[in-house]
Amino acid sequence: MTPDPLDAMRLPVMPVEPRPEFAASLLRRLRGELPPVSGRGATVRYFVADLDAAIAFYCHDLGFDEELRPAPSFAMLYHGDLRLLLSVPGAAHAMPDGTLPDPGGWNRIVIQVPDLAAAVDALRVRGARFRHEIVTSVGVRQALLEDPSGNLVELFEPLAGYHERASRGGQ
Amino acid sequence: MTTVSVRYVVNDIDAAIDFYTTHLNFELQMRPNDLFAMLGRGDLRLVLVKPVGPDGPAGGGAPMPDGKMQEPGGWNRFSVEVPDLAGAVEELRSSGARFRNDVVTGVGGKQIIVEDPSGNPVELFEPILTEARLSRPTPSSGQPGR
Repeated sequence: MTPDPLDAMRLPVMPVEPRPEFAASLLRRLRGELPPVSGRGATVRYFVADLDAAIAFYCHDLGFDEELRPAPSFAMLYHGDLRLLLSVPGAAHAMPDGTLPDPGGWNRIVIQVPDLAAAVDALRVRGARFRHEIVTSVGVRQALLEDPSGNLVELFEPLAGYHERASRGGQ
Repeated sequence: MTTVSVRYVVNDIDAAIDFYTTHLNFELQMRPNDLFAMLGRGDLRLVLVKPVGPDGPAGGGAPMPDGKMQEPGGWNRFSVEVPDLAGAVEELRSSGARFRNDVVTGVGGKQIIVEDPSGNPVELFEPILTEARLSRPTPSSGQPGR
């Protein structure tokens, strides 16, 4: 006789052993008191002039998720395994000689998109600035996008077939 | 596996490779020429590129349409977690590395900014002990620095 598949749902309910340490740890992690597990992910810090504008740009235009915003001058965003820290320069960041960090420069996060032309079009419609438009490089097509504070974000799309042949990244 | 890519502009590919592999535990993944290299550390892929002028090859180091060349520096940076910040600083100092500041103790950990040979910043970060973190007055103050 075929057993009734619903029998599994009629099994007695088993009490689960409470694990206070796990619950406490989870709570701390949710509150942002614990850093992510060591070795997982990568952290990048960008300085921005306007935190609201930066969060809107990264979350609405580039698909980042806002994880923490504990202060008016700091936010933590995620994009896959990338943790992006956004800081508005302030006294806490001053160098010993008083120099404050500022946005800009050329070093940048690099984000893969499935369709670069469509991504660039969509971003341009929303008013995003590009330091350069789409160029074809070794194995990839790429564009250099600026966030509202002028920080760079490199968008790239692998060229079809190249990586299968070369099994390496673009240059 | 490396899943996050960051590109740094450097003036000397080999000096940068030496710095990141010797002192910061990066692995060299490829160095096809003296304009480009790829390093890995955990989930972070560090793409190093040497800037070229308008006559140089196409690539991540190419100049902008207005002819402006890329250059190292700035303040944006990736952060690497080290288990012993004081030890790491000592080791880097003895090798001649430059630091932009001294160790700063924030609410979430201690950190310092070291420069690679081209002057790019790298944030070294050591998390503060969990016990210390639990004594924080506000629950949301544990982020790794502001």
